[in-house]
Amino acid sequence: MSKPSDLVQGTLDLLLLKILALQPLNGFAISLRLKQVSGDVLQVSDGSLYPALHKLEQEGWISAEWKTTENNRRAKFYSLTRPGRKHLEKEADNWGRLATAISHVVQLKET
Amino acid sequence: MRPERWIYALPLRLRSLFHRTKADQELDDELGDHLELKTQQYISQGMASEEARRSAVLEMGGLEKRKEECRDARQVTWLQDLVQDIRYGLRILRKSPAVTVVIVVAIALGVGANTAIFSVVNGFLLRPLPVPSPEQIAVLAIQQKDAPVGSSGFSYPEFVDFREQASRAADIFGIVLGTVQFTANDQSQECSANYVSGNFFTALGLRPAAGRLFLPGEAEMPGQPLLVILGYGYWQRRFGGDPRAIGSPIHINGKTAAIIGVAPRQFQGMYSILETHVYLPMSAMIQEESASLFWENRDRRRILAFGRLKPGIGLREAQSSLDVVSARLARQYPATDKWFTLRAIPEKSARPIPYANNFFFAVSGLFLVLAALVLLLTCMNVENILLARGSARRREMAIRAALGAARARLVRQMLTESVLLAILGGGAGVLLGMCVGRWTSSIHLQSLPLHVNASFDWRVFAFAASSALLTGLVVGILPALRASAADVNSVLHEGGQRDSFGIHQSGFRNFLVVAQVAGSFTLLVVAGLFVRSLQKVQSFDLGFDPSHVLDVTMDPHQAGYDEPRAAAFYRELEPRVRSLPGVQSVSLASYVPMGGFPNSRQVSLEGHPTPPGRQAPGVLSNSVDPPYFQTMRIALLRGRVFTDSDDETAPRVAIINQTMAARFWPREDPIGKRFSMEGDTGPFMEVVGVTANGKYKTVGDDAEPFFFVPLAQNFASKLALQIRTLGPPESLAAPVKEQITQLAPDLAIADIETMNQLLTGAFGYLAFRLAATFAAALGVIGLILAVVGVYGVVSFAANQRTREMGIRMALGASSRDILHLVWLQGVRLVIVGIAVGSAAAGALTRGMAHVIAGISTSDPVAYITAGVLLAAVALFACYIPARRAMRVDPMVALRYE
Repeated sequence: MSKPSDLVQGTLDLLLLKILALQPLNGFAISLRLKQVSGDVLQVSDGSLYPALHKLEQEGWISAEWKTTENNRRAKFYSLTRPGRKHLEKEADNWGRLATAISHVVQLKET
Repeated sequence: MRPERWIYALPLRLRSLFHRTKADQELDDELGDHLELKTQQYISQGMASEEARRSAVLEMGGLEKRKEECRDARQVTWLQDLVQDIRYGLRILRKSPAVTVVIVVAIALGVGANTAIFSVVNGFLLRPLPVPSPEQIAVLAIQQKDAPVGSSGFSYPEFVDFREQASRAADIFGIVLGTVQFTANDQSQECSANYVSGNFFTALGLRPAAGRLFLPGEAEMPGQPLLVILGYGYWQRRFGGDPRAIGSPIHINGKTAAIIGVAPRQFQGMYSILETHVYLPMSAMIQEESASLFWENRDRRRILAFGRLKPGIGLREAQSSLDVVSARLARQYPATDKWFTLRAIPEKSARPIPYANNFFFAVSGLFLVLAALVLLLTCMNVENILLARGSARRREMAIRAALGAARARLVRQMLTESVLLAILGGGAGVLLGMCVGRWTSSIHLQSLPLHVNASFDWRVFAFAASSALLTGLVVGILPALRASAADVNSVLHEGGQRDSFGIHQSGFRNFLVVAQVAGSFTLLVVAGLFVRSLQKVQSFDLGFDPSHVLDVTMDPHQAGYDEPRAAAFYRELEPRVRSLPGVQSVSLASYVPMGGFPNSRQVSLEGHPTPPGRQAPGVLSNSVDPPYFQTMRIALLRGRVFTDSDDETAPRVAIINQTMAARFWPREDPIGKRFSMEGDTGPFMEVVGVTANGKYKTVGDDAEPFFFVPLAQNFASKLALQIRTLGPPESLAAPVKEQITQLAPDLAIADIETMNQLLTGAFGYLAFRLAATFAAALGVIGLILAVVGVYGVVSFAANQRTREMGIRMALGASSRDILHLVWLQGVRLVIVGIAVGSAAAGALTRGMAHVIAGISTSDPVAYITAGVLLAAVALFACYIPARRAMRVDPMVALRYE
């Protein structure tokens, strides 16, 4: 597994919550959407996607439901729960603060 | 986690626990689905289907590993692991049923012995009084100079003074113990009674089970109607718990009385070992004593006092308040109140009765130590077995470790197994303990309402559970660590069953054997001491001949007879009984040896007035009629026995025993000397005879001063008719009863027992027999455990050395040499164990001096018997594996691997 695009610890959860906030999706669709929205910069391996989803589910941030897809297959669809939405807001704020702080640091002029 | 999230999370947890297969199936489906979609995506991008599938799986990075991660996310794995461990553990236990049974039985014995002994101690000493805030209750004991705490009670005026003057610190209440004749529905029964002060129930904070209880101010006024409160147990037995008993007409000691209420169910009186049948007002005491004496005399000390400390008042503060009052009373009444101080003792520390110099604590402590020793032996034994099995399972553990099991996980699994064993054994142990407890509780004595409540409450269960779990962990941890620590590589390469036992480990196992032998030896010595003490006590010279004597105790006073009528009744009864067939002689006495507490009288010698500020010495006494010495076969050493002419009108006389003669008139002839029971001024009694010493209070007593006075000069209403018979004394019980009923139909017989039955009772051999029984049971358990342990280790070691034996034999060692080799190893361990055990036993038994009688704590017979027994059994246990080793065929042994 190549490391450069490895996600900062904990940010995967944030991304997943955000994606699911837009619409309920199944695992495969989530992996596609991740690549799509991040312009292939963020590569989440399939391997780490599912444990992360299951963890979020067990935490109660997202809930899962088996539904039939357009092409008539049964698939597990994840959607955000109410506490999950609150959690997302909080985490997004945190992330915003962190990102600003880090970019400030990175942009410091070297002397 | 906030509650809202639980709405989503909880069903998932439950689902992963209880619908695990379904959850796993869905996980498979979900991941499978993903792989399929991914494969299709790659195919549509132009890959070959095989290649596409492979890429999809690769990207997942190990399908099974991912699944495991997803399962871990459920956070119930530890529980599932536990369930799995338990299942696996049970399977392992089933696989070797013999070993399992041995271990479970060992733990059951250990835990059972502990639980049984703890339940008895709990009933005696630990269970709090069943009243609200029991920790506030204190016993107020009088501390005299030169006398044990609590050897005397309070007089009523003193009691009232303390109650009033220390009322800021404590609510002081009191009781007088007694027995009464309780007549209802034309049936009379002897009952244990508490004469209580009016504030007894309110101070204790008790609520009636029915009716009402006494109120403060009630119960202490002379001449008020006789009100009765029943103990709950007595209410159940006598009236079947019928609420109509309240208000029904009854008679107490022949006087009309009214039941007004029933004490609460749990409460059986102030003493954990004494059941109270009825509670009477303290004013009812007057029937037994002349009124003015009881209410006014500061010397009539019959009240046992207790106090409920006021909220926020500690024992120290209460004590200092009481000290202030004692000092004040001592100044006010120097004649009576100067020679004592008062001590407040927490109720629990004053058990079982404040008189006792708490040898119960010593006995309880000793037996708890012995039980702990048994548990320790159990642990070592089971440890041994588990170690042996653990080494057999090192291979299994190594394979598991090679397959990726973490060490902590392996330890956990092994610990689960040992705890499972402990739970099984503990459960069986609790049942065993319950049986013993029930047996102990079932000992109801005929003559006394003594009762040990060894029932199981949460304390006992908590104790049993913790001792079982502790056992499980203690015995499990070492084998678990050891087995799981195995170096995977070396174990898997070893091949075969052989197990590389290091010197270190066999050293530890030898240590276990030595410890077990030592522990078992200690138990056997203690058991031996108790058994020897029982034997000694049973062979003690009682000073009288107990065979063929029937004791019939009755109290005409309780049926309402006054003194002349009671005397007339006895005068008529005696010749009637004497003329019954099979009767040798008949006599009357106010006290039967080993039948309760005899009267203690303060004795003053003529011409030797008691120095001021000192108490005249108390001496036990008995009022008897002339044929008494013949009936009891008490040896008269000097002088004469009483005759019919020693009556009310004759000069007062007394017969003393040897010890009294030696103590009061050393190097003088006691015959003709005079002493008084009523102070320095007399009237004096002349000593007319000296008897041999005997046992009076309990069979374990040391020689004690004692004197007899003629019944005619010292009448008592409650007397024992003692009958020496030709045949078995029991056969006289019915005809004697019949004679009594003919003469006095309304009189209840308090007690009818043969002297030998009485001797097995509470003041006789009972305590010695119980102690010997319990100690012997523990000793036997210890012996069994030690023998199993020794056998296990020696035979295991012999097995380990099979190859070595083969080589030795191949090189010319005879089978005798082999026998010696193996046997000597065991013998060495046993000898070291016994040596260590002697030291341990010596230390432990040092504190036993006052719980055994007739022998010293270093009784050689006990030590030698224990040593010989243990050595014989243990050496036999070593001999069996040694013999087996001797029979080893060298060829087989060498090919063994």
